Amino acid sequence: MAKLVVNGETRRVDAPGDMPLLWVLRDLLDLKGAKYGCGIGQCGACTVLVDGGAVRSCITPLEAVAGSEVTTIEGLGGDHPLQKAWIALQVPQCGYCQPGQIMQAAALLAETPQPTDAEIDTAMAGNLCRCGTYLRIRAAIRAAAGAAA
Amino acid sequence: MTTRREFLAATGALVVALAVRPASAAPGAGSAQLTAFLEVAPDGRVRLWSPTTEMGQGTHTAHALLVAGELGVPLAAVTVETAHPADPFRRNGQMSSGGSWGVRAWEGPLRRAAAQARAVLLAEAGARHGLDPAALDIAEGEVRHGTRVLGGIGAYAAGAAARPLPADPVLRARHPLAGTAVARLDIPAKVRGEPVFCSDMTLPALVHAWARLGPMTGAEVEAVDDRAARAIPGVLDVVRLPTGAAVVATSNWAAIRGAEALRLRFRANPHDRLDSAAISKGMAAALGRAEAAAAPRADGDFAAARAAAARVIEADYEVPYLAHAPLEPWNCIVRFHADGSLEVWAPTQAQDRLMAAITAAAGLPAEKVRIHTTLLGGGFGRRLRDMEGMRDAVLVAKAVKRPVHFHWSREEELGQGWFRPAQMARMQAALAEDGRLLGLSIRTAGPSMVMDFAAPATPIPEGGLDASSVQSLADTRYRFGAYRLDYAMARFPVPTAPWRAVGSTQNGYFLECFLDEVAKAAGVDPWRFRRRLLAHDARALRVLDTAAQEAGWGTPLPPGHARGIAYVESYGSLCAEVVEASLEEGLPKVHRVTVALDCGRVISRDGTLAQVEGGVVQGLSAALGEAVEIAGGAVANRNFDGYRLLRMPDAPTRIDVHLIESGEAIGGVGEPPLPPAAPALVNALFALTGRPIRRLPILSA
Repeated sequence: MAKLVVNGETRRVDAPGDMPLLWVLRDLLDLKGAKYGCGIGQCGACTVLVDGGAVRSCITPLEAVAGSEVTTIEGLGGDHPLQKAWIALQVPQCGYCQPGQIMQAAALLAETPQPTDAEIDTAMAGNLCRCGTYLRIRAAIRAAAGAAA
Repeated sequence: MTTRREFLAATGALVVALAVRPASAAPGAGSAQLTAFLEVAPDGRVRLWSPTTEMGQGTHTAHALLVAGELGVPLAAVTVETAHPADPFRRNGQMSSGGSWGVRAWEGPLRRAAAQARAVLLAEAGARHGLDPAALDIAEGEVRHGTRVLGGIGAYAAGAAARPLPADPVLRARHPLAGTAVARLDIPAKVRGEPVFCSDMTLPALVHAWARLGPMTGAEVEAVDDRAARAIPGVLDVVRLPTGAAVVATSNWAAIRGAEALRLRFRANPHDRLDSAAISKGMAAALGRAEAAAAPRADGDFAAARAAAARVIEADYEVPYLAHAPLEPWNCIVRFHADGSLEVWAPTQAQDRLMAAITAAAGLPAEKVRIHTTLLGGGFGRRLRDMEGMRDAVLVAKAVKRPVHFHWSREEELGQGWFRPAQMARMQAALAEDGRLLGLSIRTAGPSMVMDFAAPATPIPEGGLDASSVQSLADTRYRFGAYRLDYAMARFPVPTAPWRAVGSTQNGYFLECFLDEVAKAAGVDPWRFRRRLLAHDARALRVLDTAAQEAGWGTPLPPGHARGIAYVESYGSLCAEVVEASLEEGLPKVHRVTVALDCGRVISRDGTLAQVEGGVVQGLSAALGEAVEIAGGAVANRNFDGYRLLRMPDAPTRIDVHLIESGEAIGGVGEPPLPPAAPALVNALFALTGRPIRRLPILSA
């Protein structure tokens, strides 16, 4: 039985220690926001926060995050400045990568509240968007950073 | 989306509400079905059964906009779901979302349906209140007589459903929402991370199956060693499939581990040694073939133009296979019911093709099958061709006799792809002494996408013409003087299918980059060179000139920057793009893209802008880094470490979009912005370095 704090709630899960956090969240805790996209940490669709930092949950085993605080897109609550900016700027197209994009951006803004354009590009380079919404993602991060300032 | 949410909240009790039913039947809860497309609930909410799949292109919102404005209800009162395949939702006998038809094909039928619904609602209200229906209207979801509100439309819906629909309903003189920017209906749920995708769905007693499949050539399985897979806790079964096997488990993780633990052996196959080099060689041979299929376009006599030329410019171009690579890999849910009926949830772009695969695998008539099309985590044409994945899912569900969620890994999604065909082109231009173009010859050579994908009832004979291989070349508005266009078929056992903008993607690159080579040889500016070739066509000139002028064509640039221009017409829309690029440490950097798109009329403004932006980025992605590598008869690059999609640092700094509403017939917007992006970038690099780039991707592995 592993214990972790997910979106502020203590959760206990009975799963093998090598089960990736992604499947713990999706299958055992019914949090479907983080997505499977590649399984090797190359696309970023599975991105969640662990103790405040962005991790690829598809390659993060449960045993590595026991006792940690995990935040998923569901934990942002819906009115997070990034989520508001994402809606205001109509960022998503298919939307499959967007929870991962938003969580990556949340980690960026937590560390660097006023990122430069270059810092945004560097931080977001691990998150693929096949629909090509990168320009709107950049704009939404700038807007959210401005709103939070 | 209401049903989807109900479904997610599903307990056993909800199964009744989800029982198989034709889409044309009433949805229950007192809603009245007014037309095949529209239902009105007592509270005035409107449910729109859309003929298209929503895969991020925004068509559902555009459809809601068309219906809301025509009917007279707020956009927020409309919910949209993709219909079950039936005649009202078919185009040319197929329910399918491709060809950028979503708005241009359905604007008319959806406005008509909304006008019919309005007519019967007003007829009912008129009868009930003793008023002339012609004196009534619907606004903000209310039936009004002048300024007096008679009631919400929901109050009249049941009575209206019993009234005959007018065959020729009167449309509003002016659609109040068409051309405006509205917020997409599906975005809030996506931004909150709600379970809107097929991969997010769940059902009681659902088990997970992950497939492990053979090489792309479709080799048959000879032996499956599943001992290690079956030993994994949680694994319930291993089901053999025509081209592999699936591991069924109580959890995704157990099924994934099980699939990885399978040892499969495949029958030897004549294509086991096929590789990318052999494919290039085969296409090159076809380029030089004596005979080829002439396109139904022959302007003058190219041989004579060539003989009379002062100079002949020649170049061969090549593009690789491309993967669609939607971020959501193929997955679907299959549930057999006790009464022998079957429900399927699938992220499909082609409901009728999917139905054919389901009925064949399940041995059931279509009447017993209900398809729920979910929102798609990307399509780009890949989900027009999912019959094998659907068949396998049905086979697994039959074998294990439980509801099954069937999945492909990323490796299978790329490895089992149906690709944008590789293709080559031999380009020749005849120039007069003074630099005038006397004639142009294009030979394209490569796979026949039409034969691979569509298996037409009348097959294209060996050596015949594949229209896709001359798309945007056969019907170009350019006048080159003499023009010869033909195609030499060279087929390979690599399956090909429509990839966003299809044949226009490679042909736009071939032609537009070669034109820059010819313009340079003629000593003419690339924009002015194209203006000469389009001088007879005011509509095309406006598009070309808008892109050039808005981009500041000819004005000074920072040192090390250059511009490239390209113009491609596809799917009923004309599109020109100017890319400003530089080389940073030898690598291309795109700074600004200026787009002019004439799609006739704009329906959903922000949705159109988003499609342009996304199309540009996908076009640049293909130009810079994408190529499916074939080795040993299989796809070699089966994940995103090897199949390189464009990432944010390589995205343009700016994309400026100029929509031109010429008032001509409405054109597509999902695909047309893509084809000019690659040649505009390549032409900018050509301007910068003087070296043509005749093979994509620019960054080879």
